[in-house]
Amino acid sequence: MKNLLPALFGFILALSIAHTSLGQDCNLSIRGKVIHLENNQPIYSAYIWLEEINSGTLTDENGNFQLKGLCPGQYTLKIQYLGHKEIIESINLSSSPFNKTYRMEEESLELSGVEIHGHKDAIQTTTAVTALYGEALFEARGENLGESLKRIAGVTTFSTGNSIAKPVIHGLHSNRIMILNNGIRLEGQQWGAEHAPEIDPFIADEITVIKGAETVRFGPEAMGGVILVNPGELPVKKEHTTNLYVLGASNGRMGNINMTHTGGSGKIPGLGYRIQTSAKKAGNIKSPDYYQGNTGLSELNFSGTLGYTSKKLGVEGYYSYFNTELGILRDSHTGNLSDLQEIIANGRPFTDAEFTYDLINPKQVVTHHLVKLKSHYHLNPNWKANIQYGFQMNNRKEFDKRRGDLNERASLDLELFTNTLDIFIDHTHVNAFSGTWGLNLIQQANNNVPGTGVTPLIPNYDMLNLGLYGMEKYSKGPFELEAGARFDIRSVSTARYIQEELETADLSYRNFTAFLGAYYQISEKLEFSSNIGSAWRPPNVNELFSQGLHHGAAAVEIGDQNLESEKSLKWVSSLEYSGKKSLFEITVYANKIKNYIYLNPTGETYSSLRGTFNVYEYLQANAMFYGLDFSGSYEFSEQISGYVKGAITRAKNLDEDNFFPFIPSDRMDWGLSYSFGKDGKKNKVTLSNQLVAKQKREPDFDLAPAPPAYALFGIGYMKKMTIGQNKLNAGIQVNNIFNTSYKEYMNRFRYFTDDIGRNIQLKINYQF
Amino acid sequence: MRLFNRLSVIALLSLSFGFLSCESEDPVMENEGEVITDVNLNFTELDDSGNPVGLTFTFNASDSEGIEIGGSPVVQTVTLTKGKTYRMEIEVKNTIENEDITEEILEEAAEHQFYFLGTAFVGSSAPLTYIYDDESGELIGVRGIVTVEEFPGFNNAEMRIVLRHDLDKNYPGADDPNFENFVLAGGETDLDIRFPLVLE
Repeated sequence: MKNLLPALFGFILALSIAHTSLGQDCNLSIRGKVIHLENNQPIYSAYIWLEEINSGTLTDENGNFQLKGLCPGQYTLKIQYLGHKEIIESINLSSSPFNKTYRMEEESLELSGVEIHGHKDAIQTTTAVTALYGEALFEARGENLGESLKRIAGVTTFSTGNSIAKPVIHGLHSNRIMILNNGIRLEGQQWGAEHAPEIDPFIADEITVIKGAETVRFGPEAMGGVILVNPGELPVKKEHTTNLYVLGASNGRMGNINMTHTGGSGKIPGLGYRIQTSAKKAGNIKSPDYYQGNTGLSELNFSGTLGYTSKKLGVEGYYSYFNTELGILRDSHTGNLSDLQEIIANGRPFTDAEFTYDLINPKQVVTHHLVKLKSHYHLNPNWKANIQYGFQMNNRKEFDKRRGDLNERASLDLELFTNTLDIFIDHTHVNAFSGTWGLNLIQQANNNVPGTGVTPLIPNYDMLNLGLYGMEKYSKGPFELEAGARFDIRSVSTARYIQEELETADLSYRNFTAFLGAYYQISEKLEFSSNIGSAWRPPNVNELFSQGLHHGAAAVEIGDQNLESEKSLKWVSSLEYSGKKSLFEITVYANKIKNYIYLNPTGETYSSLRGTFNVYEYLQANAMFYGLDFSGSYEFSEQISGYVKGAITRAKNLDEDNFFPFIPSDRMDWGLSYSFGKDGKKNKVTLSNQLVAKQKREPDFDLAPAPPAYALFGIGYMKKMTIGQNKLNAGIQVNNIFNTSYKEYMNRFRYFTDDIGRNIQLKINYQF
Repeated sequence: MRLFNRLSVIALLSLSFGFLSCESEDPVMENEGEVITDVNLNFTELDDSGNPVGLTFTFNASDSEGIEIGGSPVVQTVTLTKGKTYRMEIEVKNTIENEDITEEILEEAAEHQFYFLGTAFVGSSAPLTYIYDDESGELIGVRGIVTVEEFPGFNNAEMRIVLRHDLDKNYPGADDPNFENFVLAGGETDLDIRFPLVLE
């Protein structure tokens, strides 16, 4: 690994040098990129014409074009695209190749039936970005967000059983990555290992993962990466579509239904809406040899959007509601250390559960409301003003097995209110520059709802964060350079009772972050991007103030009020090759984190009448995360294609020269597909194999050693049909065909049970 | 510009709505209803026909702060006389909230059971024998009969008392008060105390 990074960089450098030194005689070229002035989105199939030689070309999906074999001289370049103003430019081609980015402005002529375009704010970044959509997203339907994202190389999960999965990007999770629900940073109780993101993946028609440090753009905590859960565009003219999903799974006897209806108004052009609702119910999960007691869940979600777009103004209102009730494996809840050690030694739950949908304690009940109001206004073709406001209310109730009436009461009951306000200005100029300048305000209040009968784990607090940022991008044809900076100030004030004494604390943090990134389209088939960015994360309230027993985990956790903010510097580079038959992408990264906060076992035990407990404390150390992800596919013939993807992550504690716990082990996935059938009736069979290595880089202390390596096999059949105007997608997937017993290192329940056994899923999607 | 005015009004309204309704509340002290601070073992000597003789005497284990981090538990030494039989009643209390947890245990008798372990109870030469003798007839261990060997192999031993919660009482072996593999019956431990035992 150590030798690979410089080698790769050298390779790229050599390539680009080789490329620029080609300018000899009639070997000159004109390379350009055509994008929308309005939103920097590439324009596909724009018409490029060079008058003098009576020859032309069309732009590709990325808006790129290239005219080769030109002699030195004077040329007139014409760019045309329907509904956009023509661009005519004279170019004096002398000895070096010519590169430029062209931004096309929409025609303001009042043609009959002027098209109003829906707005989709794409993420413009030079960092490595991977999205999940279409067929891949269909295959992921029915899974929670974390599980769905495992399809992306470099993304794994940190999970607690099968229903709680937190996405892990390049080894980082929880408060070190950020999830955006339709543009609003999701603010839940993400600090907890057993706190899953409060979001329904069905709201999205595309889920994007940004693998770089994006604090400048999105605010503190976006250290390891960002996940964008984005609904599709709203229609701007009269049209109605309904998207229905019916899903079932044999393991856990899961049923899941989702309906999304999108409509556009006929009377008011530009007015559109979307309503979406989903419900899910699952019972006890089965490992190959036994049922896992109390592992069912039920979910009920809703979201609605109303939007209006005109030539200059866009307004959008959005509401989403997430509600889940999920059981926690009964035997994972232990009374003291010896209980915990007994079940770990046993390797599986003591009780033989049966199948049921009923949930008992311990369980979690979580609701999340999110309201978003967004508006943008085009001041002129080059400047756009935006305002976005979000309100969120998160309620998390955790129930433990308790005596008497207390069993009906939550032992943790937290209410978190968050207001976010973003005001920013986008500019795109016909010249090479575009950028964003803005301010971002986050205000948060956390309450412990009284009446739990347990001294709260974290205090009540108020938080206020103000950020000011700016970033600019310089584009020149196949080359883009981007830089940005941000300044944040945050204040936190907390209050709680410790043994009848009111204890308050006022803390403040300030930080400066910046990034620099570049993108280069080396050739038609090869793209390279590189980004280096700093990020920061203030310590979380639980890291600062935890003091006491973590119920069920048989651990006493001690926070430290003097913890400093984590600061990181992440460098990500990515090389992408897209040929006719093959696609290949490799991403390498290095992320150095100063003051990385981690929970460290002190080696001491604490004893009470209940027994003894391990004591953990929050410490800080310098950390280094590095690794690579790759993914590729190849079409052997029209019928047969193959894919491969994988990831390697390394994480070291530089101070102690040892390893951090819960870092994903090396893994890869590969498979072969056979497609048959004609247009309008396509079939595909996919065989897949997942290989996961044993985590050999274990921390000095762990409750149990890392589980052995495992291999899982899967088979899927998918049928795509067009029935008149309607579309039908149906699929059957069998995961873990051989019902292999295995344990995943990143699953906290590996201490207590085998992972999920064979699972047969049926997925039907009808669009009408 | 009219649009702009409208926008700013919307923005202001939404701001005032949100930011006003959003300040944390003052913290409230919680009644730690579940904490166990005191466990008393009340011994009453029984005669040959099972009638109480003399005064009841008590040995205590306490932890003033319950489960919270801080103090460590204080456990008294249990002193019993060789060859005698006692009724042992266990009292479980939360002195912080002044609650008698024994009542709750009896109310949820089906979910609770005490086990009596350690060198005092387990092994062929164990000096003590325990029999469940709960009022309801269910095996709980809140009340039981302890018999001390007349000629025990040793005079010092450890009485380990474990309270299990949410166990399967029908699990084979769970009816044995000296069931060492109590974890097999499921549930979790609410109490795990080791009393030193001295026999006189």
